[in-house]
Amino acid sequence: MRHTSLSRQLIVGILLAELACVLLFAGVAILHEMHGRQRAFDVMLRGRADSMLGAIHDAEDTQDNVYVYSSELVLPKHDLWEVRTPAGHILGTSPGASPAAMTALGSMRTDGYVNLHVNGEGYRGIRYDGVRVIDRDEIPGGLRRPVTIFYASPTRDLWREALEAVRFYVLAGGLLLALTGIALIWFLRRRLAPLQELADVASHVSVRSWDFKPPATALQTAELAPIARSIDELLDGLHQAFERQRQLTGDAAHELKTSIAVLKSSLQLLSMNPRTPEQYQTGLDTLLTDTERMEQLAARMLALARLEEAPAEEGASADLALALRNVAARLSPIAEHKQITLEVGAGSPLVVALSSDDAETLCSNLIINALQHAAPSGQVTASLDRNVQIVTLTVVDDGEGIPPEALPHVFERFYRADRSRSRLSGGAGLGLSICKAIVERAGGTIQIASTLGAGTRVTASLAITLNSDDLREEKPEMRETVESFDPR
Amino acid sequence: MRVLVVEDEPRLANNIADALRERCGFAVDWAATGTDGISMAEFQHYDLLVLDLMLPGTDGLAIVRHIRRRRDLTPILILTARDERETVVELLDAGADDYLTKPFDLGELLARCKASIRRGKGVAHPEISVGRISLNTIEQTVRCSGQLVDLSPTEYRLLEYMIFRPRAIVSARELLEHLYDYNWQHHSNVIEAHISNLRKKLRAAGEETSITTLRGRGYRLESPDPQVSPT
Repeated sequence: MRHTSLSRQLIVGILLAELACVLLFAGVAILHEMHGRQRAFDVMLRGRADSMLGAIHDAEDTQDNVYVYSSELVLPKHDLWEVRTPAGHILGTSPGASPAAMTALGSMRTDGYVNLHVNGEGYRGIRYDGVRVIDRDEIPGGLRRPVTIFYASPTRDLWREALEAVRFYVLAGGLLLALTGIALIWFLRRRLAPLQELADVASHVSVRSWDFKPPATALQTAELAPIARSIDELLDGLHQAFERQRQLTGDAAHELKTSIAVLKSSLQLLSMNPRTPEQYQTGLDTLLTDTERMEQLAARMLALARLEEAPAEEGASADLALALRNVAARLSPIAEHKQITLEVGAGSPLVVALSSDDAETLCSNLIINALQHAAPSGQVTASLDRNVQIVTLTVVDDGEGIPPEALPHVFERFYRADRSRSRLSGGAGLGLSICKAIVERAGGTIQIASTLGAGTRVTASLAITLNSDDLREEKPEMRETVESFDPR
Repeated sequence: MRVLVVEDEPRLANNIADALRERCGFAVDWAATGTDGISMAEFQHYDLLVLDLMLPGTDGLAIVRHIRRRRDLTPILILTARDERETVVELLDAGADDYLTKPFDLGELLARCKASIRRGKGVAHPEISVGRISLNTIEQTVRCSGQLVDLSPTEYRLLEYMIFRPRAIVSARELLEHLYDYNWQHHSNVIEAHISNLRKKLRAAGEETSITTLRGRGYRLESPDPQVSPT
């Protein structure tokens, strides 16, 4: 990918704008200069034409003719001129002028100024009808002799002089352009230093060193401060996520190593001294229990990893009521064994966006948890409530409750409010984490509330997925539910 | 010798305690949380503390710091599932004497426990001699002039505890505290009975050095040669 440099674009942009300004200025200056000079030129032409008129003399002949007394005229040698009578009689013409020039000169039909081209050279000409009064002494009022004067001067010098006059401004503009170019580069380098510093600091951040202190220069720059702060926040978040992940890996390793340590030490203890067959049998039974617990731990860790890594299954749907009934049926022997009353309230189908496995895992983890913590001969209630499009699964036990300081952590992986106790019941502190992962993956929420000595209530809320099939199935069911709740 | 095991995993704690009892003849107490561990260690009845690093309540490192701050010199062996170097360095710097990473070898754990206890009592070698008596802490045997003396486990433990401190007066109470765990009913006259038996057996083996009773104060392992030296 080609890199685009902001500063280079900025410099080139500014310099181009400046160049356009200089050129525009030079153009306007030339036009203005030309305009002034042309007017002066025209006045000069008129003056020269007037002097032409002055050079017309009485020929002192009988017809009182006039002629051009050219020898007293001092005119630039490239100028063209011609004097005619109204009858077309040429009284005088510039010496050495080519016939083509004279034709061009004579082509002026009206009085005034005209630009001419003669042999590829620009001329400006004037045609002007004048009246020469002669014999003023002899005849009162004199004799009026009308003449037409054609006069043209080359304009080549006019352009040259105008350009010379403007050249100064053009040179000054060019110099300014060069100076601003250099100044801009220097200025931009200097002003963009905070950006460079920020990039430098940011480039030193790595997985091993999360230290990112936005440089003060960047924080003081209005445009950079938001970027610096965003980077800071982003890194903070990343660092925390990374640390959390590391903590979890560490916890998982700790759990596994402890489990292995239990197995290994049990085996070594068993083989340390000679034992009776009964002792060996007891030892082997314990080892088997330990191994089963480790197996469960591994299965739960994998389940959690699968839930958190893989995206939610598209179009998964399960009837939460059915799942709850199935789980309750499966767990009732355990409840009976512990002499705990397990009450389940699940009626009409409530379809949620979970796979049926996840739905059953959710129900069973919550109920097992409640059974483990319920008071001896206590009660566990699992119920489903529908509120418009939300179904709420509530599992309540009447156990010893969870201390308030432990409550915020119960959904954390490997967290056990009372390690030794939950260990005896086989928990590894993953059950509630798995529930949370299942519910959150389906876009729901899970909450826990507990009162010490009174019991614990876990509430999972999930959206009911309704497609047309569900609707058709559900309508009669709904009626049925209403009937079953009829007060009669 | 009496050992305190602070470990939150009951199965593991049980295995360690059983091994220490069976193989070393130590009295073992178990604390499942760091908080319990600290309050039990404060009695200073123990000749060794075996601490798990990750504990509910107070963690192993905090327990080590607490114990060392109280100028308690009881040897401490740490069990850790984390073998990161910083953790180990931090632990040893805080005053732990040794550490083992889980999953460990039970035999190695026992050897390290015994070594820590020996060093805590200023003895480097597992075989200790006073006069003509020599006690092998590995085999848990006592010989007098090379001849095996047949002692009951309790008699051995009594002699083992006293041989680390020859010529010092050891009270019956101290013996009770260091030789029995909490599960045992304390009766000080039990000590007297065991001492009497031990004394008889040593004399029968022809040993002149003997355990004298200092009424109201305790017992003393007398030795013609005050030097305690490894053979």
